[in-house]
Amino acid sequence: MDIHSELKELSHFLSDYSTCLMAVGTHTSRVVRNTSRIAQSFGFFADMTIFQKTIIMTLRDKDNLHSYSSVNKIKPMALNFEINSRLSSLSWEAYDERLSLAQIKSRYQEIVSKPRMNKWIVLLLVAFANASFCRLFLGDWQAMSIVFIATLVGFFVRQKMMEKHINHLFVFVSASFVASMIGSIATLYNIGNTPQIALGTSVLFLIPGVPLINGVLDIIEGHALAGVSRLINAALLIICLAIGLSLTLLLIGVDAL
Amino acid sequence: MMTTDFILAIIFDCFFAAVASIGFAVISNPPRKAILVSAFLAAVGHGFRYFLLQSTSLDISSASFIAAFIIGLLSILFAKKIHCPAEVFSFPSLLPMIPGMYAYKTVLASVKFIQSDDYPTSVNIIVDIFRNGTTTVFVLFALVVGVSVPMFIFHSQTFSVTRILKFVNKERRTLGKPSVEIEQIEER
Repeated sequence: MDIHSELKELSHFLSDYSTCLMAVGTHTSRVVRNTSRIAQSFGFFADMTIFQKTIIMTLRDKDNLHSYSSVNKIKPMALNFEINSRLSSLSWEAYDERLSLAQIKSRYQEIVSKPRMNKWIVLLLVAFANASFCRLFLGDWQAMSIVFIATLVGFFVRQKMMEKHINHLFVFVSASFVASMIGSIATLYNIGNTPQIALGTSVLFLIPGVPLINGVLDIIEGHALAGVSRLINAALLIICLAIGLSLTLLLIGVDAL
Repeated sequence: MMTTDFILAIIFDCFFAAVASIGFAVISNPPRKAILVSAFLAAVGHGFRYFLLQSTSLDISSASFIAAFIIGLLSILFAKKIHCPAEVFSFPSLLPMIPGMYAYKTVLASVKFIQSDDYPTSVNIIVDIFRNGTTTVFVLFALVVGVSVPMFIFHSQTFSVTRILKFVNKERRTLGKPSVEIEQIEER
């Protein structure tokens, strides 16, 4: 095979690989490192520029005589640490065992097509998590049970709307509105001694924790542009959450939280 | 200082932090074996932060930094054991400490600032916005810097934990090939 079609084929695969890693919430420097490692196992070098929505990549040979460039769109995907972990392993396997491109591709397909955890289990675990979060903010058991129900319903709304591919900002406003409306039952009927905490923690399951951490990590590792755009996206989600919550506050007439 | 009540409060804090971390972790579909590890790390980190906040005069961001540093150290140990990238369980274990409430309170206070029209309340709200906003930013940076300082210290180990050389070499020996040595990949 001549070198150019070899470059082209590898570049097609690496564009899939790197955009997938980026979409499932891997921090930028690991994406760069993993992708260049696979390129190196074929004796090539990959240089890339990463933005929030696209990756620009040039694959070249050692003497810089042949190169192949591509601009790749990052498709929106849900966060997935399992894919992150196993694709990182795959890059080392490719490097250590000198796998052929066909082998790497078949393993990649196997990893990417693995089903996610059952969504009902996720729903239940998130509800328990937010209830215990309420306890960490010193809420009593009445507040905890109201937060449990609020999260159950709010997260269900989020899952359903996400499945229908509705704009994610609107999803966050709606989910936070529904969750905080249920959370406000405690304030309206004065249930327990800590109704304010129930209302305040009922929306916390929507905080985009992983993008916030990834954004800061990108900034301190020098990928400032990617990091800042991650943080801006996370901030947008938090603003949407606050809009949903302030709608509730407006309706039930509580002016301080 | 260390009364039974205080110790009991710390244990409760650890337990609920672990449950919270499991629930917030499964949203991002972690590998099954990493879930329990991240729950353990969250319990240690959050419990230690609770201890620091209650028994010393440390502020919340310094306490978060120390707790995150401990999580970072432990996560590297576990990463070597079960061959996962360290962030797969160190990030979920940080989630209970993310300053989410401060973050949305900043936004809520800003909304209130637009609505208020008399001077003294506006000044109070500005203090609110600034206090919540700076707490958010400082705690967030403290968490991430704290967890990644150990990663920078143990640089070469951290980035090769997903490499399973032992198995590779065993396989290669049975095939009669020379074994692969750990070599530092040229950082580019």
